[in-house]
Amino acid sequence: MSKRKVYVIGYGITKFGEHYELNPSSSASQALSKAIQDAKISKDLIQSLYFGSLVSNRNGQSYIGAEASRECNLNIPITKIDVGNASGAGAFHQAFIAIKSGLLDCIAVLGTEKLSDFVNSSTLEKILGGTIDYQWEFEQGATLTSLYAWMTQAHMKEFNTTMEQLASVPVKNHKNGVNNPIAQFRREISLKRFLNAKRISAPIGRFDPATHCDGSAAVIIASKEFVESHSEIERKVKVVGSAQSSDKISLHHRGTLSSLLATQIASKKAYEMAQISSKDISIAEVHDSYPIGEILAIEDLGFFQKGDGGKATIEGKTQLNSDISVNTSGGLKARGDPFGATGIAQIIEIIQQMRREANKRQVDDIKYGLTQNVMGTGASVLVHILSNMEDDK
Amino acid sequence: MEPPKIWRERREKYLALGILCQECKKKSFPITQYCPHCSSEDISELKLAQTGKILHFTRVSQTAEELMFYAPYIIGLVELDDGIKVTGQITDTKLEDLTEGMKVRMVFRTLSKNGEEGLIGYGFKFVLI
Repeated sequence: MSKRKVYVIGYGITKFGEHYELNPSSSASQALSKAIQDAKISKDLIQSLYFGSLVSNRNGQSYIGAEASRECNLNIPITKIDVGNASGAGAFHQAFIAIKSGLLDCIAVLGTEKLSDFVNSSTLEKILGGTIDYQWEFEQGATLTSLYAWMTQAHMKEFNTTMEQLASVPVKNHKNGVNNPIAQFRREISLKRFLNAKRISAPIGRFDPATHCDGSAAVIIASKEFVESHSEIERKVKVVGSAQSSDKISLHHRGTLSSLLATQIASKKAYEMAQISSKDISIAEVHDSYPIGEILAIEDLGFFQKGDGGKATIEGKTQLNSDISVNTSGGLKARGDPFGATGIAQIIEIIQQMRREANKRQVDDIKYGLTQNVMGTGASVLVHILSNMEDDK
Repeated sequence: MEPPKIWRERREKYLALGILCQECKKKSFPITQYCPHCSSEDISELKLAQTGKILHFTRVSQTAEELMFYAPYIIGLVELDDGIKVTGQITDTKLEDLTEGMKVRMVFRTLSKNGEEGLIGYGFKFVLI
């Protein structure tokens, strides 16, 4: 494998939430121009733009990246990467590969989504139906939420995971989200409120799913050679692992519903690339679109034994500045989930933590940070590992 | 849903057909050109078992417009007696009357309606035995 080193040299992110006043391209441009400013480089040095978005083709314009580059006045290749609702991390992975290959030295990666344009929730359900087996799950009547309900049931049955343990995931993440200025929800929600909420698809309750919102996130990534020849670059975070894996799209074709095989494979590949183990990770941003999502993640990524995720969460082992700080940003739950932007937003949280810009949610002594972005119910999973070690292995 | 898609899927959706691989002898669903287990092209059609048991179930109250006709409804993961697992609605019953492991039988029903004048989608659902 190529020994070329890859760095994130700048980031930009919009506030996540409902932005009826913003059109999709302006939201994307905001993140992109902020990222360019943060990198301190001239925008003419950017050689390519990779963008990820799940629904950009449904608002009319199919190619938001082109509109964003118009507002930023760039004449570079623009490529949309499609990994469903994990397209943000998918675009980052492809940009990483392009720099690693030696062909490009500086790339902008953009994730964007404008979901408040869909006022009818049936439209969004149908779009999300495209992230699961559309023909044999969605058209049969299943939805993303109902499939996550089965995964939750399977984990509860197999490992005696309780409703209290499950609810402790969003309780923690809302607590972290209070201190994240870009989060959609900056308030705590009590365990009791989660437990007493109406069940929409039992055992999933009304407050359990992450909300689908608007938001854009961008990063500029560059090779070590590029960083060394541009003294204007002040800060950099190294990308030491980048991997993607897949699994059968339909739950009825999988051997188990209580783990995500794609997470296990992708994280193994990412740890190998970074030459570290799960024990070296201090912070992680994982895909908590439903409470079970975070529990599966912290087990499948190797932070806890299979089946111990719920117990570890309720015991506080994943809270801020504990054994492993998980979703310090508030996660998808409190930050909000603009699908294509989420994977990049996760990476930005790790960068903010490593640059010590996280204020009240700052974690101390971080060596390695990890992100995990899930497509649908785990048909594709991306894992990234970043490091702020000066001289890592 | 467009007519070509409905026409193409008519055998597997209306008759509930899967495939039997002549090479590795494994059964699978839905109909594919290649065996999903060994990638062999030597496959034959297989009629799915008509009875099975519920592995998981939950309620769906919000979904695409064309599926809202029967909402809220119950969606289940069913293991058929031939070992194949499928996703399907469990109908003619109430959520509170269901438990995991209950035996079900496949029935032919309306799945979706595209407004007053659009196409109607048919397929299989399950009822308690």
